[in-house]
Amino acid sequence: MRKMLLATTVLTGLAGLTTTEASAADTITLKFWDNQQTESGLSQYQQEAVKRFEADNPDIKVEVTTIPYPEFQQRLLTAVRGGNAPDVSTVDQIWVAAFAEAGAITPLDDQAKAAGVKADAFFKGAWDSANYKGKLWGIPFNVDVWQFSFFNNALFKQTGIDLKSITTWVGLKAAAQKLTDASKGKYGVGLFAHKGEDTVVVMDSFIFSNGGKVLNDDGSCGLASEASVEALDYLQSLAPFAPKGIANASSGDMRELFLNGSLGVEFWPALEQPTLQKSKLDWDFVDGTAPDGKKPIGTYGGWNLVTYKSSPHQDAAWKFIQYLTRPDVNGSVVDLIPANVQAAKAFLAKNRKGPDRIMEHLNSAAPRPLSAHYLEVSDIEVTLAQDLFGGMKAADAAKKACEAIAAIK
Amino acid sequence: MLKQDRWLIWVFVAPGILLVAAFMYYPMIGTIIESLYSTSFINPTPEFVGLATYEKIFASADFRQIVLNSCVWTVAVVMLQNLSGFFSALLLNQSLPAQGLMRALVLLPWIMPGVVAAILWRFMYDPQLGLINSFLISLGVTDQGVAWLASGDTAMLAAIIAATWKGFPFSTVVYLAALQKVDHEQIEAATIDGAGKLRRLFDIVLPEIKEVIAINLILTTILTFNYFDMIWVLTRGGPQNATHIFPTKIYELGFGQFRFGEAAGYGVVSILVLALLIALYVLAQGSGRGARA
Repeated sequence: MRKMLLATTVLTGLAGLTTTEASAADTITLKFWDNQQTESGLSQYQQEAVKRFEADNPDIKVEVTTIPYPEFQQRLLTAVRGGNAPDVSTVDQIWVAAFAEAGAITPLDDQAKAAGVKADAFFKGAWDSANYKGKLWGIPFNVDVWQFSFFNNALFKQTGIDLKSITTWVGLKAAAQKLTDASKGKYGVGLFAHKGEDTVVVMDSFIFSNGGKVLNDDGSCGLASEASVEALDYLQSLAPFAPKGIANASSGDMRELFLNGSLGVEFWPALEQPTLQKSKLDWDFVDGTAPDGKKPIGTYGGWNLVTYKSSPHQDAAWKFIQYLTRPDVNGSVVDLIPANVQAAKAFLAKNRKGPDRIMEHLNSAAPRPLSAHYLEVSDIEVTLAQDLFGGMKAADAAKKACEAIAAIK
Repeated sequence: MLKQDRWLIWVFVAPGILLVAAFMYYPMIGTIIESLYSTSFINPTPEFVGLATYEKIFASADFRQIVLNSCVWTVAVVMLQNLSGFFSALLLNQSLPAQGLMRALVLLPWIMPGVVAAILWRFMYDPQLGLINSFLISLGVTDQGVAWLASGDTAMLAAIIAATWKGFPFSTVVYLAALQKVDHEQIEAATIDGAGKLRRLFDIVLPEIKEVIAINLILTTILTFNYFDMIWVLTRGGPQNATHIFPTKIYELGFGQFRFGEAAGYGVVSILVLALLIALYVLAQGSGRGARA
């Protein structure tokens, strides 16, 4: 009886294996992972695009997995380390260097050259973020800029503030002061410093707008420079006009206050627009804030498409990446702004208020440091922000951050 | 059982042994080994560094704060959960109207998923929109909302209160079961002899359930020390590391910064710190028994 059971089990297993091997020869199944950051129904649009791709490529089937942004990093990292990486995924611009250094992703120089995929089709900052140590590691998929200053039109009109005044530091501070009445739960500007990348990108945009840097070209810390410290000082001076609890507040918390009319100005990228469009708020935006005479510089954000070395379907993966980044497709498969410039223009004209202003801010944006150790730098910058809003002098907080950056190996 | 069928015992036990080995001991041993290498995501060929990772951990200012935070967090939450659990068990052990309903309601915090509970408390602590500040303002205790989670002075206390609320029902259930096993004849006899409620509690009830108290203290210590979601959702260990404990630090290093060797090092140290806490408790129990003898 036992021998019969054993024999049956072995035979069933072998039969299953044979069936699997027979079907694998016919169709390639590509696993594509992406993340969702807005309420745009991204998964549905991507499924539609995938169906068109599969119709054009009957030997390739694509399995799309859309993961909420807060979980994406952990799940992707676990999969890559566990040897279960998808064939294609989006990676944050700030992860590209680390993924390249880890040997997890495939350089795409040869494929891009053969296919005529060129840098000038994409936003410069996005293309630069996909390059590391002289090689191209991904193709830009989508982009955005931190930050735009979204303002509550109604509150501004009530208080008689000139809408465009908030493009300068002096103007923003004056407006924030006028809008703030803590006794009535009204605040001028939505500052936040929780442990998240949104804290870093907003702080960086103020530093960049004043001509400062996070890391100098030689890799040394730029946060203690006069321009950077001045920007940090300015941010600290806005604290009295922000809702309480900056050190634990996030951009999401500020959004809630903005939507309920308690906040005059919130700092968000263009992806905030779908949420505001669904609300009843009378809103508009300007391209960030800079000292008088200087141009506001935003911090680049966005995602690149990469293929994994572990994928047995490199050619099919590259085909899929090419498809997703085509000008006629890119706009329909992203929830941020397409990284392809042509697609971006069409996307913005159709979906976003102030498309020209967004394009201008995108074209002048600066990237975060492209370093394999970026995540450690980012953590140090979060500590810097928390020290700053915890009352430490800007110069001291910047010096402390620079010491920590210098200690990174 | 025939001798030739004894191999059947191993056939039935083997899957369990393999599962425990695969999901418990293999990861533990793997973690210890990983902590001896400078492993990070960006270093595909890890280098053996021996105890250098531990030297780095012990030398960092963060480590001292994390040990202190972890001890304060664990001791405070365990004490408050056990005290609240015990007193609510005492209450529920009485004959009360709607006793069944009350017992079910007490369990609600425990049944709620940890992340959901943490999000609810985050909303309640909100400086602008939170229920707690609204309540305190209406009572006249303060005229402005307090940023409970944004200040190093109040963030840990706020997290402790939230964790106590979440976990006390577990202790309630344990102590309620223990109280129901207490010999009622002894209590009746003590009552007849004139012993008051407090006397009966300290001289009869507590001695009878002391083993249960010991086990529950150890269990809640282990659960609290490794409690990740409450602090991660409330503060992510901030502000300025004021609420960073071992689990949140390990997660931040491993998944936030891809520094697996250091995360593994913190993991090993956390087990040792926990073992020390439990050993201290067991020693205190043992010396207490010795003194009474």
